[in-house]
Amino acid sequence: MSTARETPGTRETGTAPARRAPLPLRDLVLMVVLGTVFGFLYWALVQGWTALSVAMGPAGDLAQHFLLGGWLLVAPLAVAIIRRPFVGILAEVIASVVEVVFLGSPVGPLLFVAAAIQGLGSELPFALGRYRRFGWARFAVSGLLGAGLVFFWSAFRFGWYGQDLFWFRLAVQLASGVVLGGLLAKVLVDALVRTGVLDNFAIVRDRRAGQAPPVRRAR
Amino acid sequence: MGDPHGWLARRNPTVKLALLFGCSVVTLFLLDPVTLAALYALGAAAVLATTDLGVRRLLAAQVPFVAFGAGLVLVNAFSRPGTLLAPGLPLRVTVEGVTVGVALALRTLVIGVLSTGFVVSTTPQRLLTSLVQQARLSARAAYAVLAGYRLLHLLPQHWQTIRDAHAVRAPLDRRGRPALGPRVFVRSAFTLLVVSIRAGERIALALESRGLGTGPRTTWRPVALDRQDAWCVLAVVAAVALVLAVGVLA
Repeated sequence: MSTARETPGTRETGTAPARRAPLPLRDLVLMVVLGTVFGFLYWALVQGWTALSVAMGPAGDLAQHFLLGGWLLVAPLAVAIIRRPFVGILAEVIASVVEVVFLGSPVGPLLFVAAAIQGLGSELPFALGRYRRFGWARFAVSGLLGAGLVFFWSAFRFGWYGQDLFWFRLAVQLASGVVLGGLLAKVLVDALVRTGVLDNFAIVRDRRAGQAPPVRRAR
Repeated sequence: MGDPHGWLARRNPTVKLALLFGCSVVTLFLLDPVTLAALYALGAAAVLATTDLGVRRLLAAQVPFVAFGAGLVLVNAFSRPGTLLAPGLPLRVTVEGVTVGVALALRTLVIGVLSTGFVVSTTPQRLLTSLVQQARLSARAAYAVLAGYRLLHLLPQHWQTIRDAHAVRAPLDRRGRPALGPRVFVRSAFTLLVVSIRAGERIALALESRGLGTGPRTTWRPVALDRQDAWCVLAVVAAVALVLAVGVLA
């Protein structure tokens, strides 16, 4: 028992020289917190989706494409704040676990798979920018890829291929991804930075590194 | 929230989580309402028999799933092509739509009743300890996950506090009540996010100041993995297999 417990301790002292240091606890907890809060909000969005589906009547099956971008939010948010690899994917998967296991989302555990695909799509543009570039265009592409990748998975699961509405579905979903899952994430990140709550995270540290005097906030 | 009692509460949380995952995966391949209804009835009976959750509390916990399930039935009844259920209706309701809708709703209920059983029989501490012991989660990650679990329980309370604070400053409508429109709703959601990030940072500081992740750790109240857990797995697998076999034969 005691010998088995020694491995994590030695690993965490940082014996692997090639790899980056493990995620600081502060960032780790933030990632989980974001995943939890967004899992809760996603769950609320599912209720909204149901209402919209009913309101749209026979076209109700299309409602999900309009809202899909909303389910992408946490990945770009987490990546932009913490600026480390895999954070977006993990945050998205944690959100799906919260939705399924703790809030009992009816989508079921296959949501873990969808969430990982979404997270991958959303994180890809930032990874290509080596987690240093966070402009509007990159957020837009993040939403586009997040919505785009998961579309093919959903289409495979629900048999959308060969339907007349295939291209319409894809277009709506991509637009939703860009607006709700990309640009809205940028708006949210900027708003969070203004509150001062992210002062101790990479996003503000990186900005400070570029400026000579520390910025004093009037509260 | 007191400590849960009952046979299920003494089972290994990692085993329970794996069973919940496994059963959920199985329901995704089922579209037959009768089989799903049988699974739901079995699940409800098992949860009632092995936890200290009474019938009333179980019913109360099922309300959100029933509401969601009702939505699924409506959406599918109106949005799927197929044979008309009743030609006289002004709206198109198809037999296929109703069948698929009811099946999806029952899937929700099956996953819902099992999730309820898991949540009421598992304390965060035991789940965390078990994940570290049996699922080889690192202690740092485990504590972060525990923080998330705790936060989830606190979110409704935070939400109410924020809404109350907004209500104090909101303009009054004609009847003298605070007018909380959709814009206030969005602002409340944003505040909830900020409050949670702050809480997370405090948690991280507290954990760091206790030296988490600086060396090997011992486990307080280790969670056992014993023969009873094997029986639990066997019982669930056998029950599900039996229902599926009967469903395929019938």
